[in-house]
Amino acid sequence: MSLTPYARKLSLEDAAHLLRRTAFGATDAQIRALAGRDAREVAREQLTFSDERASGNPFDPAQAVTPGAGIQLTRGAWLFELLYGPQPLREKLALTWSNHFVIGTDKVRNVPMLAAYLDLLRRHAAAPDFAQFAVEVAKSPAMLRYLDNDQNRRGKPNENFSRELLELFTTGIGHYTEQDVHEGARALTGWTFEGGRGKEHFLEEPRFVFRANQHDAGSKTYLGKTGNFSGEDIVRLAATQPQTAVFVSRKLHRAFVRDVPDERAVAASAETFRRTNGSVRAVLEELLASEVFYAPENRAAIIRGPVEFIVGAVRTLGQPRLDAKQVLGLTQTAGKMGQLLLQPDTVKGWDGGREWINDSVLLTRMQVAAALTLGGKAPELKEQPSPLALLGRERSPLGAALDGLGPKQRTYLTLISPEFQLA
Amino acid sequence: MPLDRREFLKYSALAVAATSGMPGFLARAATQAAGSGSLKTLVVIQLTGGNDGLNTLIPYSNGAYYAARPNIAIPKKDVLTLTPDLGMHPALKPLMGLWDAGQLTWMENVGYPNPNRSHFASMAIWHTADPTQAQAEGWIGRIAEKIGDPFCASNLGSMTPQALRAADFSLPSIDGVDNFQLKLPAGLDAPFGTMLNASRTGEAAYLQRATRQMIANTQKVQQNVSKYRPGAKYPEGKFAAQLQDAARLIAAGTGQRVLYVTLGNFDTHAGQRAEQDDLLGQLASGLAAFSADLEAQGLADRVLLMGFSEFGRRVAENASAGTDHGKGSVMFALGRGVKGGIHGDSPDLENLSEGDIRYKQDFRGVYAEALTRWLGLDARSILGGDFKGPGWVA
Repeated sequence: MSLTPYARKLSLEDAAHLLRRTAFGATDAQIRALAGRDAREVAREQLTFSDERASGNPFDPAQAVTPGAGIQLTRGAWLFELLYGPQPLREKLALTWSNHFVIGTDKVRNVPMLAAYLDLLRRHAAAPDFAQFAVEVAKSPAMLRYLDNDQNRRGKPNENFSRELLELFTTGIGHYTEQDVHEGARALTGWTFEGGRGKEHFLEEPRFVFRANQHDAGSKTYLGKTGNFSGEDIVRLAATQPQTAVFVSRKLHRAFVRDVPDERAVAASAETFRRTNGSVRAVLEELLASEVFYAPENRAAIIRGPVEFIVGAVRTLGQPRLDAKQVLGLTQTAGKMGQLLLQPDTVKGWDGGREWINDSVLLTRMQVAAALTLGGKAPELKEQPSPLALLGRERSPLGAALDGLGPKQRTYLTLISPEFQLA
Repeated sequence: MPLDRREFLKYSALAVAATSGMPGFLARAATQAAGSGSLKTLVVIQLTGGNDGLNTLIPYSNGAYYAARPNIAIPKKDVLTLTPDLGMHPALKPLMGLWDAGQLTWMENVGYPNPNRSHFASMAIWHTADPTQAQAEGWIGRIAEKIGDPFCASNLGSMTPQALRAADFSLPSIDGVDNFQLKLPAGLDAPFGTMLNASRTGEAAYLQRATRQMIANTQKVQQNVSKYRPGAKYPEGKFAAQLQDAARLIAAGTGQRVLYVTLGNFDTHAGQRAEQDDLLGQLASGLAAFSADLEAQGLADRVLLMGFSEFGRRVAENASAGTDHGKGSVMFALGRGVKGGIHGDSPDLENLSEGDIRYKQDFRGVYAEALTRWLGLDARSILGGDFKGPGWVA
């Protein structure tokens, strides 16, 4: 059973819906360019990534003089890429994976570590092999540091990474035992990194090392199998469990289909995941060209998170250039709304959905909208976006409320409407 | 007389409708009187990440404690002695005055059946007060339904914890009292109201409700907060700032029965001493300032504070001078309303459960006493059963 393909050519509203999900939003012209095309073809095209990056990125983390500045510049550089990069879907996937294989700048304060982690997420954004992705994440100094596996040694293993590998990165809770956590930690002993430690070495590049003398080479029983497992073996075992297909597919449905996914649709994606030996690309291509994706009940069914709200607003406004200070300010504003890039509150990441919304967040969204449309430093626009661009609808559902207002005020009120805050 | 859930929903729908009529809806929202100046407040402190109870309230006379933790145990000479067996971590020194005054209490071996070592599953259990996790609502969200007031509790911070979620809404999160106000650009009050009143379904309707509630909540807070004059100097940092916001709300009489503050990063798998020492220092200096502030304002009789973490750490340290996830742990409480001292036995380090302290006191019993004896609510209807507490509320 796989997902039923969407057979019709994309209408204007279909194209707007797709771009809200895959590109954070788009202008009227970008939407019109996709109308009339075949859904599968468009999905395939969007999932074909090049190495191209946004031009003129003003942030270079390597120029930082302190770890804190390095982290800020890393955030700024990423937000700039999200706002202006030519491959928004790759960035959206990197954001999604940063919320799956979570690390945090409270512990990871080395600039090259963060850069390598982000590169890894981009390189595997639509991974053809999820297990390989998981292995590379597990070996990345950022993850080794964040979940303490760099200190996991034979004798009294450190269980932090081993536990979260199962609970949060692969099978999900309920599909492993405490013994699996313990044995997994044993298999991962000896994985660490060299270089880049300590505040004064925050610009030094670390590299993965395996210390055989700290590794527990004994027999382990893990997820029902027994053997002389290495760290790599157990990451692959976890990543190829049947339940991992469901767990990862559910994450993708939450990112692209609806906040509360339909479990039958998730199961269909999981089957595709298993059939293709963990190809995220295959799952996404099918998903983004499916009936489920375009179903009316799945439109406006995702509450935009802080980063999606900000990036969506700027892209819908036609990507007006903000100065570097404004971009850095927006990284902080996203943090105030609960989504500081590369720093979720916990290793579980951001829950999303209704969890994004509370009084303080709603107030901050109103400030962001005002700053982008009405404020003294608001960018000048050639034209105000259409209802299609702002709300994915050919006719604005807000109707009479906006009558008699100036164009900037209309855009402001639309940006703070419940409808704009949904994707 | 408490409302049942259906009545409550009807009530809150009416309250929201009353604040959203046009024009002048903003003014009307503000007319909901606080009128609850004499009520008692419970402040809940969440230590996120699994605080190590053994290095918080230290069994310093127990050789097994030192044997299990050759690198991270708190040396006997540094322990702040409370009893012949137990003492506090040295970073908790700012709380010694409260201990001496009988206003600090520790509860030992607190946990729940079938402990879960996942941070998130365990935290959800503490939030829902339901070890089966069948309840999606938080225990404080259920208080709100019981009282029939969607403003009866607030979180101080940017994200609302599950504890403050009810079926169809969540209670306010106030991330800085000063910024907690609606400022619409000139001339947009009426269009904003019209935009908000469009008919909606699904998630759009959820956002619409949340926005209307926000308007009412901000009005309520801003009408009152100017009454506060600080009575103590708070230390630097977000946690202390949130405690001060809690004090402001209490002093202003905004009427919340429960306020919620979180201090994070207790997941000390490696290099625990430095991390936990720093966090406990922030905790103690923040709480001492909060407590002094309430004294100075003459509000100390009205406020009770209760702290928890989702679990403790394993008894034995790991190879990286840290500790992995454990089970039972300590809770603390402070205020004039507590029965000071230590409730429960020193943890039994000879009889462990998979390397962890066994729980003897169900945390729901601790909640139950806060609900019945402090807030005057029917704990049974909120917790879904009768749970015995250690007698920590005076």
